[in-house]
Amino acid sequence: MSRRRLLGASLGGAGAALLGLSGCGSASGSISAGTDHLTIWYWNGSLSAKLLATSARGVPGARGLKVKGASIAGDYRGKLRTVMAARAYVPDLACLNSPIGDYFPDESEFVDLKDLGADAVEDEYLAWKWKSCVSPSGRMIGFPLDAGPTALYYRRDLFEQAGLPTEPEEVAEATSTWEKYLQVGKTLKAKAPSHPYLVSQIAYVFRMALYQSPKQFVDADNRFIGDQEHVKRAWDLAVETYRQGLSARALDGTPDFNSALSGGRIGTINNAVWYIGGLKDTAPRTSGKWRLTTMPDGPANYGGSYVGITRYCRDPEGAFAFLKWMLGPANQLKSYQEMSLFPTTPAVYSQPAMREPDPFFGGQIPVDVFGPAAKKAPVIFFSAYENTANTPVYQELTNVETLGKNPDKAWRDAMNAAERALAQRGVS
Amino acid sequence: MATLAQAPPSDSTEEPARTEAPRGRWRRHLPPYVAISPYYILFALFGAFPVFFSFYLSFHDWDGIGSMKFVGFRQYYWLLHDSVFWHSIVNTFEIWFMSTVPMLFLALVLAFLLHSQVRYSAAWRVAYFIPNVTSMVAMTIVFGSVFAQAGLANSLLKAVGVDGIGWLTSSLGIKSAISLMVIWRWVGYNALIFLAGLQAIPNELFEAARVDGASSRQVLFRVVVPQLRPVILFAIITSTIGGLQIFTESQVLFYSDDPGTAGGPGQEGMTIVLYLWQKSFNDLQFGYGAAMGWILFALIAVFAVINWRLVSGGDRDDRRGIPLLRKGGRNGR
Repeated sequence: MSRRRLLGASLGGAGAALLGLSGCGSASGSISAGTDHLTIWYWNGSLSAKLLATSARGVPGARGLKVKGASIAGDYRGKLRTVMAARAYVPDLACLNSPIGDYFPDESEFVDLKDLGADAVEDEYLAWKWKSCVSPSGRMIGFPLDAGPTALYYRRDLFEQAGLPTEPEEVAEATSTWEKYLQVGKTLKAKAPSHPYLVSQIAYVFRMALYQSPKQFVDADNRFIGDQEHVKRAWDLAVETYRQGLSARALDGTPDFNSALSGGRIGTINNAVWYIGGLKDTAPRTSGKWRLTTMPDGPANYGGSYVGITRYCRDPEGAFAFLKWMLGPANQLKSYQEMSLFPTTPAVYSQPAMREPDPFFGGQIPVDVFGPAAKKAPVIFFSAYENTANTPVYQELTNVETLGKNPDKAWRDAMNAAERALAQRGVS
Repeated sequence: MATLAQAPPSDSTEEPARTEAPRGRWRRHLPPYVAISPYYILFALFGAFPVFFSFYLSFHDWDGIGSMKFVGFRQYYWLLHDSVFWHSIVNTFEIWFMSTVPMLFLALVLAFLLHSQVRYSAAWRVAYFIPNVTSMVAMTIVFGSVFAQAGLANSLLKAVGVDGIGWLTSSLGIKSAISLMVIWRWVGYNALIFLAGLQAIPNELFEAARVDGASSRQVLFRVVVPQLRPVILFAIITSTIGGLQIFTESQVLFYSDDPGTAGGPGQEGMTIVLYLWQKSFNDLQFGYGAAMGWILFALIAVFAVINWRLVSGGDRDDRRGIPLLRKGGRNGR
């Protein structure tokens, strides 16, 4: 063979390989086509590795069905949307983070779980969570994974120094409304020797007060309702918090926030159950000083995930059988123990395994607060355009807080920006 | 089995074919093209195709999964009426100006110093270049704590009796913080480029200057800078292109799950590319992002031409180089 032919042959081979690369996307579009298992994509921490190890060998109760988990690192949503756009290598099942409304415009990419008999297990799940899986057209595109009930985290030691009530029931009573909560904040800042702030950032007051409302920024008919009373009230509460000087003005996750939190300059936090891990990581030295109680004006839900079955799945019945097993009450309990994923099946909240006292909260049992909160959270509709609409509002809250922008002007700017951004997307 | 000995005769047999049949000519030129094909196949797939597709995309409304809807020039129309976009352009130019001018000046001085006889010059060069090959994401996280309210930068200021600055909470602070990161990263790179240019300047010029009694300062501004003009042009154009695409610094500096934090308070750190990224990959408005990319392309092209004109236009008169450079900086703002 001549050198030239050798060169030609090898280049031809390389070219063929390149062509092959682009051509080998299977006709079915599923990443598991031609294998003996189904594939589920998840991000680290969203599913129990132990349960996935079991299902990879065979899903209990489903003969011959194997489901393997693939942990996707990095930009999970971006990668999932990429394979869906390419219609190749799409997983059979995929974890979906909230807001699930992002996927409503492309709801036909997912199997309607009601067609697979999801209604039969509806009673086992939190009603608001179940409803949030259903798109405006009535298609159930996700299955409840975990919940994010919220609570008021507070520093018992600082409350005690300020002469405020210290036990969860008493604090719940003293902060039963946002107005009373701000009063407590004033006392806390004035009387506790370190003059702690009530909140890290006013955006949290806004977010939680808004999540207590069933209505958000855009309704199911794609109408902008963000200029109405339910949003304005949350805004006013946040601005009032700023006016009274009760905010540490530390943006989430910044070094300033971390040092304020571990240094005891933040007296309370309104956040979801999944923040427990973040709090323990950020401020390990404050262990034992925190307590949990009901959020002012009642509980809400913040975050929580779903699992959807994509339209490329070759065995939707099998995939649904896997979901019923993986996310059934018994395994949600196991997932809580292993991964701190808060169950969406309220029956397990009273199980002994969930009632472990947590020394970080001075031996308090977190589920005593989060369990009732999960049951009482309002049913909320999140449209696909929620982020588009609320981003300017969060930005203007930051402007008020850090740059001292006039709150009235900030509100008008936020509304104008939200309406313009929505008009661009065909929402008015 | 074919052997190499057959190659020359085969050339001579192809000779008449080249004039008679175009097909033979094609065959003759094919091997070199095939030999370089890996480059252009890869370029076509990962370079040219995305470029043309983004142009096509900029006339559509697309969320990345569903069907694409043709909207004509609507995306461009929205973009020109988008105050955040204009703000991001202003921010980008402010950051570009605040970083590029001091950076190039510093780089020039550094190069001049490195060019003189110093000990361990190789070690110095490596040291100055290291920031350029450091992961910017990691460094931004480090800078994030340096510029925190109670961070190193404010501690240093307090140590010399100056009040702390809201590095991440005021317009000027945010822009200064980002500019400092850019300077930190690129000053060594540009110094090395200037150094290479310096070494190409004939020694006689330096000697003549010294004989004439010129000071170091005079040598720098009267000899080095005019001689380095092509290199300065290169550095200005590359740092303009780079500067208009600042992204990582402000993205990582203000990153959180909270959608309101992109670009920092008042969106003072919102650059064009950060806004493009936010609209495309957070808001899933890929058509809008693509349109933004093309406007950015046009901006960069315009500035490359302006830079080129200003810096190379002084060929007729060497002394015009510096005033024109300064003018270029002002216009750039």
